[in-house]
Amino acid sequence: MRIKLLFIMLLAALTAGCSDAPEQTSVLQQDIASLEKTVRGTEVRWHMWGGSAQINQWVDTFVTSEMKRLYDVNVVRVPMDAPVFVNKLLTEKAAGKTTGTMDLLWINGENFKNSMQAGVLFGPFTDRLPNFSAWYDPQKSAHDFGYPVNGFEAPYGRAQFVFEYDTARTPTPPANLAELADWIRANPGRFTYPQPPDFTGSAFLRQVFYATTGGHEQYMNGFNAELYAKNAPRTFDWLGELKPHLWQQGRTYPKDAAALDTLFARGEIDMAMSYHPAHAQMKILEKTYPDTVRTFVLAEGAIFNTHFTAIPFNAPNKAGAMVLANFLMSPEAQLSKFRPENWGDLPALEVTKLEETQRKAFDEVDLGAATLGMDVLSAAAVPEISPEYLELLERDWDTFILGH
Amino acid sequence: MHRRTLRGLAPLLLPYCALFCAGMALTLAQSLGLFLPLGTGEATLDHYRTLLQDPAMAQSLGLSLFVALVSAAGSVLGGTVLALALWRMPPGLRRVGVVSKVGLILPHVAVAFLVLLFLGRTGLVSSALFQTGLIASPEEFPNILHTGSGLGMIMAFLIKGVPFALLLIGAVLFGFDVRLVQTARMLGAGPWRTFWSVTLPRLLPAMHSAFIILFLYAFGSFDIPFVLGESHPGMLSIRVYDIFFQRDLDQRPLAMAILTLMFLFAGLFAMLYNRFAAYLDGWRRKL
Repeated sequence: MRIKLLFIMLLAALTAGCSDAPEQTSVLQQDIASLEKTVRGTEVRWHMWGGSAQINQWVDTFVTSEMKRLYDVNVVRVPMDAPVFVNKLLTEKAAGKTTGTMDLLWINGENFKNSMQAGVLFGPFTDRLPNFSAWYDPQKSAHDFGYPVNGFEAPYGRAQFVFEYDTARTPTPPANLAELADWIRANPGRFTYPQPPDFTGSAFLRQVFYATTGGHEQYMNGFNAELYAKNAPRTFDWLGELKPHLWQQGRTYPKDAAALDTLFARGEIDMAMSYHPAHAQMKILEKTYPDTVRTFVLAEGAIFNTHFTAIPFNAPNKAGAMVLANFLMSPEAQLSKFRPENWGDLPALEVTKLEETQRKAFDEVDLGAATLGMDVLSAAAVPEISPEYLELLERDWDTFILGH
Repeated sequence: MHRRTLRGLAPLLLPYCALFCAGMALTLAQSLGLFLPLGTGEATLDHYRTLLQDPAMAQSLGLSLFVALVSAAGSVLGGTVLALALWRMPPGLRRVGVVSKVGLILPHVAVAFLVLLFLGRTGLVSSALFQTGLIASPEEFPNILHTGSGLGMIMAFLIKGVPFALLLIGAVLFGFDVRLVQTARMLGAGPWRTFWSVTLPRLLPAMHSAFIILFLYAFGSFDIPFVLGESHPGMLSIRVYDIFFQRDLDQRPLAMAILTLMFLFAGLFAMLYNRFAAYLDGWRRKL
């Protein structure tokens, strides 16, 4: 009997029944006050990347206790890489599973694009969240890697790409891409980057893509295959020419950002990079990096992006997820997250929209000597481009750089 | 008798087969471009074509085969030599063989990390040499883990594989009737002749099984390559993981096509190897 059931389940999974659940619109018709009433005593399972002990710590202490205190909600953090939970959602949708296990996701970029194309997200919901309308500039979070957000994601933080170096070993860092190339040639074996498609390594590729092909503006109007074909060779010429001067002669690359940090901390290489401006300071506080480590950006610009939270189509506690997403956007949560001892993640809200005292609190946050000032970072900020470019860059990097 | 055993096992086998076949069917279907998360098109062999035309794929296949072959052959050889050495020892000393169990108990991932810790350029061995002044800088330490030939992975597979082969071959050897050897020696066979005609034929089946198991495990394994593998060429299993988890969804069929081909290869290899072993056996008997 059991086996028969199993067969039926397998067949159901195989024949991918596209039975859509009736949309739970009722959640979207309530205002936040009544949502907050309904979620008392419930549990919200927040699935997010679990690769940073500090970020996990912040969620497990500040977020969990505040959500408990304010709304009597139990936040459960579930560490899971974004591609993994996107795959999980796709499988659940294919199997017609209308009640899943995930309430809120930390998601961004191509994972968001894939989820939207597969129709596995719930929304639009951001217009229902008062913190979003009060403190945020909708224009700034209208696109995620060039893909329209349309209210399916709530912004909750910003990251920007910086290079890390040790003043004890490198007194003056390169100021622009040409100087970086000279520096790499002058210091053979002391530079590398994580292997794309790693998030950080892929961001470095795009930095070089912008800087070698005349800036990001031309890529802002969606994907253009001809433009890519015309410009990309310059990027790969630059990378290919430097390849023999990299760590291990460019034959092999660190697997991910953590592996790159380890090489830098051990002194096998003299330069690292991160998509978190405060990452170096964090590592200094951890005593992993020496106190003399500082960060720099190139004159050609430093890529920034916004990270978001989203709600799966089959989230069992959509109301709870909305309350949590709203809380994460609040000035209090943004400020706590901004403090380097907690996380050092850049706020996604508009500081200028805040009241005097709150604005002061944000201004007073000291991200440490290793972190660049907000003025430097904003001056260098350049946006991300659509994931199609990213995919092509990663694919061609495999062919022209790794395969040669 | 056999039938009865089968009937007794049927309830256990059925879910296993169902799960296995369903998984295989889905993999095959997705490799042909059906049942995909993002819309479904016509069945097509394009993805296989892409794979076969990609030189990087050929390099990955070459590396996977090389690592599997060297580590399986090395393990069987090492295991056999050790088993024979233990077998020659007086029974009191045979307990030394317990040491080999360490390699069996440690998980593959742990062994991979041990190799990484000891033999990396900033690893323990390199640091020790540097501290004692035998090398001037960590850069002078030979680049064992990044030679492009999978040397680090082979070492880890050997640490795991030698004890395994020793276990299989030792089991046969210690259950071996010593009188057979004594008879051969009395009839005037030299030690080599005795080994060749009496001992080896009885060990061969265990050696062949150990080789097939270790070869196929190393060929498709993920854990050791994930820790010790290099960027280029990557092992096939790492490539599948990369395409499945880190690339766009429309590349999913490629990952599934690699998996399908790997599965076919494994089946084919086991079949051909058995034929080859039988042929070898016949040839040896003629000598």
